[in-house]
Amino acid sequence: MNLFRSEEHARRWPAFQARAAEGFITLVELAGFFGTQTRRHMLDADYLSAWYPRRAAERRAYLESIGKTTPFWLGTPDA
Amino acid sequence: MDRMFQRIMRGLVETGRAPHYAELARALGLSTDEGRLILHDVMQAYPIGWLHPETDYIASFPPLNNLPTQYRISARGEQRWFAQCGFEATSVTWLFPGETVRIDAPCLDCGDPVTVEMRDGRITWLDPPEIVGHLNYGFGASRGKPQFL
Repeated sequence: MNLFRSEEHARRWPAFQARAAEGFITLVELAGFFGTQTRRHMLDADYLSAWYPRRAAERRAYLESIGKTTPFWLGTPDA
Repeated sequence: MDRMFQRIMRGLVETGRAPHYAELARALGLSTDEGRLILHDVMQAYPIGWLHPETDYIASFPPLNNLPTQYRISARGEQRWFAQCGFEATSVTWLFPGETVRIDAPCLDCGDPVTVEMRDGRITWLDPPEIVGHLNYGFGASRGKPQFL
C-alpha cells in the first residue's frame, strides 16, 4: 500500500504485480477510504471495543461506493 | 484492553514511539506480567498491528509504526512519526485534530519525493499533483503477501 508520484511511476516499479493494475486509487478516494467514521475516533477511550469492530463493514461500504468491488479490493476469495 | 489501547496510541502520538509493556503496566496500575499479557490481548484484538516476531515489542500500531518506514510523518513542527504504509499515512491526520500533518516519502520507482499535507482529513497540499495510491497485493489473507507492502 504505497504512494507513487504518478501511475506511470507505479507501473515502472520493479515489484509491480501484474494483477495490481487494478490496484490504483486516487488520493482523494484514499483519504476518504482511510477517513471513514471509525477512523475519526482512534483517540476515543472506547475505540477498540466500540469503534474498531465497525471498521470492516464501513471499509467495504466505502469501497463499494467508489466502485472497487472486485475480490482484489474487497478481500474476498477469487471466483 | 481499551485502556491499554489508548495508552499505546496516545503514547505514540505524544512521543513518536510505542511504550514498552512494562511502562504500560506501570501507567495502568498492573503488574509487569499482567501488562505483557494484556498487550498480547490488545494485539490479537487489533490484528492490523503486530509485535516484532518472537518479542513483546510493538512493531506496528496503525496508522503509526514503531519500526521506521519510508512514510515519514511530521506534525507540530517536527518529524517524529512513521506511518505503517502509504494508505495508513492518510489516516494519521485523525490523530492530530486541528493540526497540519505532512507525509514525506520517496517514490519507490525513482526515489524522488512524494509529499502530502492534510488537516482534519482534508488534503491541503500535494507534490506532485499526480500522486496516486497503489495496492500491490490486494486485500485478504489469500493474496499471499501482507497487504501493507
